[in-house]
Amino acid sequence: MTALEIEREEESEVVRLRTAPDGRLLAITERGPVPVRVRQCFPWSEPHRHLSLRDTEEKEIALVDDPASLGAASREALERALAEAGFVLEVTRVESIEEEVEIRQWRVETRHGPRSFQTHLDDWPRTLPSGGLLIRDVAGDLYRLTVTELDKRSRDLLWAFVD
Amino acid sequence: MNHEIISRYIRQPVQLPDALRARIELTWDAEPIQLYALADLDHSLRLGESWMALGEGHVAVARPASSGAWDIESIERTRIRGVQLSPGLSANMLILVGEPNEQPLAMVRYTQRQRGAFENIRFVLEEALAGRTVTPAPADADRVYADAVARPVRDAQALVAGRESTVILRLLGYLAPYRREVTIGLGAAALVTLASLVPPYLAGFLLDRVVRPAQGGALGRGEAARLAWLAVGAMAALYIVRQAAAHVRLRLMSVLGEWVARDLRSELYSHIQRLSLSFFSRKKTGSLITRVTADTDRLWEFIAFGVVDVSLSVVMLLGLGAVLLTLDWRLGLIMTLPVPLFCWMIYWHGESLNARFIRAWRKWSRLTDVLGDTIPGIRVVKAFNQETREIGRFVDRNDAVTDEFNQIHRMWTTFWPVLMFAVHTTTVLVWVFAVPRLLGSGHPLSAGVFVSFLLYTTMFVAPIEVIGQMVRTINRATSSAHRVFEVLDSEPEVRDIPDPVRLSPVRGRVEFENVTFAYDGVRQILRGVSFVVEPGELIGLVGPSGGGKSTVVSLVARFYDATGGAVRIDGVDIRTLDTGHYREQIGIVLQDPYLFHGTVLDNIRYGLPSASLGAVVAAAKAANAHDFICKLGQGYDTVVGERGHTLSGGERQRISIARAILHNPRILILDEATSSVDTETERQIQEALERLITGRTVFAIAHRLSTLRRASRLFVIEKGRLAEAGTHRELLGKPNGIYRRLYELQLQLQ
Repeated sequence: MTALEIEREEESEVVRLRTAPDGRLLAITERGPVPVRVRQCFPWSEPHRHLSLRDTEEKEIALVDDPASLGAASREALERALAEAGFVLEVTRVESIEEEVEIRQWRVETRHGPRSFQTHLDDWPRTLPSGGLLIRDVAGDLYRLTVTELDKRSRDLLWAFVD
Repeated sequence: MNHEIISRYIRQPVQLPDALRARIELTWDAEPIQLYALADLDHSLRLGESWMALGEGHVAVARPASSGAWDIESIERTRIRGVQLSPGLSANMLILVGEPNEQPLAMVRYTQRQRGAFENIRFVLEEALAGRTVTPAPADADRVYADAVARPVRDAQALVAGRESTVILRLLGYLAPYRREVTIGLGAAALVTLASLVPPYLAGFLLDRVVRPAQGGALGRGEAARLAWLAVGAMAALYIVRQAAAHVRLRLMSVLGEWVARDLRSELYSHIQRLSLSFFSRKKTGSLITRVTADTDRLWEFIAFGVVDVSLSVVMLLGLGAVLLTLDWRLGLIMTLPVPLFCWMIYWHGESLNARFIRAWRKWSRLTDVLGDTIPGIRVVKAFNQETREIGRFVDRNDAVTDEFNQIHRMWTTFWPVLMFAVHTTTVLVWVFAVPRLLGSGHPLSAGVFVSFLLYTTMFVAPIEVIGQMVRTINRATSSAHRVFEVLDSEPEVRDIPDPVRLSPVRGRVEFENVTFAYDGVRQILRGVSFVVEPGELIGLVGPSGGGKSTVVSLVARFYDATGGAVRIDGVDIRTLDTGHYREQIGIVLQDPYLFHGTVLDNIRYGLPSASLGAVVAAAKAANAHDFICKLGQGYDTVVGERGHTLSGGERQRISIARAILHNPRILILDEATSSVDTETERQIQEALERLITGRTVFAIAHRLSTLRRASRLFVIEKGRLAEAGTHRELLGKPNGIYRRLYELQLQLQ
């Protein structure tokens, strides 16, 4: 891509984005670079579109409907920030699910390491629009799993929670 | 308890490792750690263990080094210019910002589980940046960390599930006052069991010792008849004794179960009434109601039947086994050896059903969700013409539930015939081995022993069933007992000291001296609030939402105790007062007044049940409520529905004012009393309030500043501080004052 092409691309962007050396997402505004965070408007229905960029005061700097409309550099910076903003623990194996008084105790292996967590007995896993299950623990952490990708034992343990 | 929750459920360090603490404090020249938190995500969002620690002059971030030691990065707090939080779905990032254009001083990532501990650190740093010093006690660092991490689990399950045996023993302790009844009940139950074992033996005796000898001529007819009638008589007497004992057992244990359930319900309800408001903010109303009703009912079932049934079934099985083996050990073994297998089959069946039930309950909950959504929201459904869609949603979920329950029915209707077939197979086996012996080959077997044997085998099924379901019965009972004991073990946070002071009457002087308050011990809702209110003053509390106004009045009413400083009433520390006696002299009118199910009269007289009808009418007149009450179908005797829904908001408000007037409080709290009514109703309420406040100390919270025009003084509470105080005129005179800004904003809106 030539310098002219990059310039034209940037002119048409709703916002110009860069990654700061410390890893934060920066929006290049008239006031200079401003640290922003990404809020997904539809984290499950359409996680990669309709992204609200907000400053540290939670004021919206820009709403990116489609990252494809951004230039390559902005898109790359946005995708990097999006990975962190949309981070949930991805379950790869279910070790055990036990019921105790008032809570259900889960022991799982995730893509990010082993984890134990608890859910309320009446808090059922939610089926996501894109398929898969979403579990919210008592502390508010989210766990996503795709049942068909799990081993048989995990699927057996999850059987009661899946349609 | 927090340590137990963390190690048992959360499985992360229960505190900062000692060696790391020592190293950090060494780095800081022995400055102690005040707060710390675990950052459980690394920069690549993998679960790990890093720590952030806060001292008086430093912050340290410790990350694991490849050598197995810790890399500690220490930052002087004077370098911190800002604290930024970047919240995500499950990953949060806390950034300590230094000078502009400087790289962040520190960045840590953590899951929501660690949020509470990090919020504590963030709070202290932000306060320091705003020029306010918060100094958490280093001695509390471990407790504060453990409390923050364990809190979500503790709120869901306040009592760590202890050993079942301990819970059952504690539950059985409630039988102690009824020792006599328990002894008689258990004795009667034992008698029923023993009496059940005798008739088969008598049948065998009759056959072997009377019938066959008489038929063979070995026994004379007269003697045979005498023995036979004796056996029949004994049988009849046994049945009478057995049924009498069964009656005593059923009656006594049922009644006893009810007594224990009643005692538990009363103890539970009395305890709930004594608990502080913070407990109710943690627990759902429905959950507490279930504990007082359904859980105690389930415990009745366990005490009335479970305890006796389970113990006697064990006795019955052991007794039957012993009798069968004594009668004929060869046949006895055929009958008794499969018993453990049958018990295991029933247990396994229960476990298999459990997963099915979870699935069915999940679908049942989806069905009730539709009801819970659409019945209260029926106006919206109709307004958007969504009836057909909602019917479709319900029908789909109803079908799904029915399918699941039918699966469960298929399972148990298959299992029990199979089990009974297995039991009958053992009976057939007994016949297979017994018949040749009855006919004379092999070890001899008398017809009487065989008949006794057969009769005993029919008695096997019931105790096997009870023992097979024992695990489930005990689980259900311990689960309910846990839920009940969890409430009973919660301590009220506001407690009276021994020999508390009784102010008779309260004059109404209220003094706050450097009062601080934090719900969680760290994040302060009130920060050093000081004021003196003289008896008879009307104080208007104004300021932005969440600023601390409601906390001020909650401390005046002693719903909570201040965490720092002192609240004094007539010069006496509120913590030394007799809370009940003090609250009798306080009146509260809330934004959403609560009316109990009962008559208008009951509601007005709630705080003073002995008030005369004349006094009630006078209070209602003063509250501008008399007219509309008289227009109700049954006047003051009209029953107002749950939460008084049959009345309008303004009417309910005026009844609550009448209740406060009749109560004749010395200190009155008005919490947004006129914010949700129309102008005419507001005028009527305002008139009523003016009568009510005369001669009392009044704290009135209001967003509509015009309603506070009669206030002696106004207190502006912002961010937990008393930002401004003075009369309306004085506060308007402050050029950049908060009150002036709020007032002007409201004028513009009008």
